[in-house]
Amino acid sequence: MEAIWLYQFRLIVIGDSTVGKSCLIRRFTEGRFAQVSDPTVGVDFFSRLVEIEPGKRIKLQIWDTAGQERFRCRSITRAYYRNSVGGLLLFDITNRRSFQNVHDWLEEARSHVQPHSIVFLLVGHKCDLEAQRQVTRQEAEKLAGAYGMRYVETSARDAINVEHAFTELTRDIFALVRSGDITIQEGWEGVKSGFVPNVVHSSEEVTKSDRRCLC
Amino acid sequence: SRVSRSQDVPPEVLRQREVKWLDMLGHWDKWIMKRFNKVRLRCQKGIPPALRGRTWLYLSGGKVKKEQNQGKFQELDHQSGDPKWVDVIEKDLHRQFPFHEMFVSRGGHGQQDLFRVLKAYTLYRPEEGYCQAQAPIAAVLLMHMPAEDAFWVLVQICEKYLPGYYSPGLEAIQLDGEILFALLRRISPVAYRHLEKHKIDPILYMTEWFMCAFSRTLPWASVLRVWDMFLCDGVKIIFRVGLVLLKCMLGTREKLKACQGQYETMELLRAIQPRYMQEAFLVREILEIPVTARELEREHHSQLKRWKKNRGELNFKSPPRMHGTRIIMLAEPPRRQDLQQNPTILV
Repeated sequence: MEAIWLYQFRLIVIGDSTVGKSCLIRRFTEGRFAQVSDPTVGVDFFSRLVEIEPGKRIKLQIWDTAGQERFRCRSITRAYYRNSVGGLLLFDITNRRSFQNVHDWLEEARSHVQPHSIVFLLVGHKCDLEAQRQVTRQEAEKLAGAYGMRYVETSARDAINVEHAFTELTRDIFALVRSGDITIQEGWEGVKSGFVPNVVHSSEEVTKSDRRCLC
Repeated sequence: SRVSRSQDVPPEVLRQREVKWLDMLGHWDKWIMKRFNKVRLRCQKGIPPALRGRTWLYLSGGKVKKEQNQGKFQELDHQSGDPKWVDVIEKDLHRQFPFHEMFVSRGGHGQQDLFRVLKAYTLYRPEEGYCQAQAPIAAVLLMHMPAEDAFWVLVQICEKYLPGYYSPGLEAIQLDGEILFALLRRISPVAYRHLEKHKIDPILYMTEWFMCAFSRTLPWASVLRVWDMFLCDGVKIIFRVGLVLLKCMLGTREKLKACQGQYETMELLRAIQPRYMQEAFLVREILEIPVTARELEREHHSQLKRWKKNRGELNFKSPPRMHGTRIIMLAEPPRRQDLQQNPTILV
């Protein structure tokens, strides 16, 4: 039986090849670190429930795609960006090039996401490899600030900030949904209500019906 | 480990098969031109493991290509590749079948050969470069043959069997996705309607299946049996495997009750039940799917027309697809000396 959730958010994870997208998602959804992971071909997806406040659960649907430019085609990018409400934009702190490409990833996202928008979080990944660092925290924070994003440094290997990154993004989106800045729309997969029909918007009401359902 | 015994064929049957295959390999062009149905039947039964590598080299036309381009691989092997490609390839070397003993050690022979083959391809076709989905294909080949042979079979797969799959933009794969979907309508109307209703673009579930020729999807014994048939008969085998999996997973209303949504459906297709992928079951089902090369071509034609109408001309022109070993042999006829065997083990 499926656990009961208030909302379902669809998130995407983007960034250059080998910055560790799949490993980060696996650490978050499966709780373990894969020493090696096959390069992603096409798209892959995962899900997990997150409790953002006691009794308030959000189901995250996380889409992973191939980082190699070759796999970016219209059909994939459209399906991928258009139907997402949030995204983690990853770079590898030990790979300067992957940081320089952050602009390109944001540009691509912006051009495909219309008429919706995506809440992005900038993630400096592999922060366990401090000795090989090529991107300072300050410059990453500056870049994130320029685009109005938060910045987090994570490590899938040492499980640093992985929960935090996903939870923070989920909370930010939840706040925007609660304030009405993001609304559920028919035919859009970004945010879905866990209740049918989609008439419950106030979180208080949802919580009540949540409890009812559990009885 | 995913690598298991290929099949439970009794040893004496296996010995008999090996004798038959050695005879075929010894008179290859005659068998292909005059008794192709028998060759096909034997590929469907499974190529004896000891002769699989050599047979794949012959089936794909890689043997002829290699003989007619002697010294080419060595020449490419000695060049240093474009750093743009070398960089990506190097990052992928330890990520192909990492639990296979051949690829387990960093910088070991398996990974070195994988690098040589993939780098050689980027020099052979600089306009194509390297696509990450080529690595598992090359790795499967290297488990069966030396680097030079694997290179030429890879060339044949990329240019004859699956042309355009690894080019930028994924046009050929998207087109085949549309073809697969159109064929599904006839093979399993229930699955077709479900995917249509939930607007699930084929590219979302078939990209890895097709680009890696199921090498990352199926259990190992099934991968080998599928490749035996694929290299003999061409891409229709790949389509048939896709159709079998879709039909088995989404083909009845009861099964669909449990997956009312786009994501739920994709989750189901990502975790295919092992019994549908089991060697004997899968091969039987593949042989029963009524999809021929001719139908594929017809569907290709109409999907291409639709594509051009909706999206304009293709950006990457690929050579025409060749449906199997017989057509390849007609297109690239062997000289007498090309089919001579150079056994590595003398009995």
